[in-house]
Amino acid sequence: MKNSLKVERAKKNITQADLAKLAKVSRQTINAMELGKYVPSTVLSLRLAQIFEVELSQIFTLEESDWS
Amino acid sequence: MKLNYLFPNKYKKIGWFIFIPSAIIGLTTLIFEFEPNSLDFNIPAIFINKLFRGKHFIGIVNNNILNEILGVLVILSSLLVAFSKEELEDEYISKIRLESLVWAVYLNYAILLISFLFIFDLSFLWVMIFNMFTILVFFMIRFNSQISKLKKSTRYEE
Repeated sequence: MKNSLKVERAKKNITQADLAKLAKVSRQTINAMELGKYVPSTVLSLRLAQIFEVELSQIFTLEESDWS
Repeated sequence: MKLNYLFPNKYKKIGWFIFIPSAIIGLTTLIFEFEPNSLDFNIPAIFINKLFRGKHFIGIVNNNILNEILGVLVILSSLLVAFSKEELEDEYISKIRLESLVWAVYLNYAILLISFLFIFDLSFLWVMIFNMFTILVFFMIRFNSQISKLKKSTRYEE
């Protein structure tokens, strides 16, 4: 799964640490998600969408490999 | 979602504080077979198998309780260290916790299997003694090293 967390973060001009605080997770988790090493739960994804005030699908998109 | 069977974060420090000294003292007394007479007591036992006297259930045995005291301290403190929440126990940490636990169980049973096949008789008692603690110790090592690796690898991005 691809995500545009980094882009959304840049738009809002906030750091990983800021986003971590807003989403109530650790900075390591934000970092791991941006690097594509961790796929967040539905709850965390919805929290992120709400923080960035966008639709969920604007942040997260499925890839071909997600179907295999 | 909220129920995760973990202790509050502050117990991790308390756990380390008890674990380190009791593990060191425990290991030393085990190796040097230190059994002070003042700790010899008659205590109830659930199962008794004495040499040449057969097996039976429920009875009283004379036993040095130093190893019991240290064993209990090591087990309880390592449970605290292993299963206290991190400062921020989020879902990613939980995933690492689960993976570390699986890893620790595999390693523990790999070592146990090898020991089971190649260590015999009374020598195997040593394996059983260490095996009481290794699964938690392996988990503690794996989990904490994964967490610290993660913290180190997180570059600060503006």
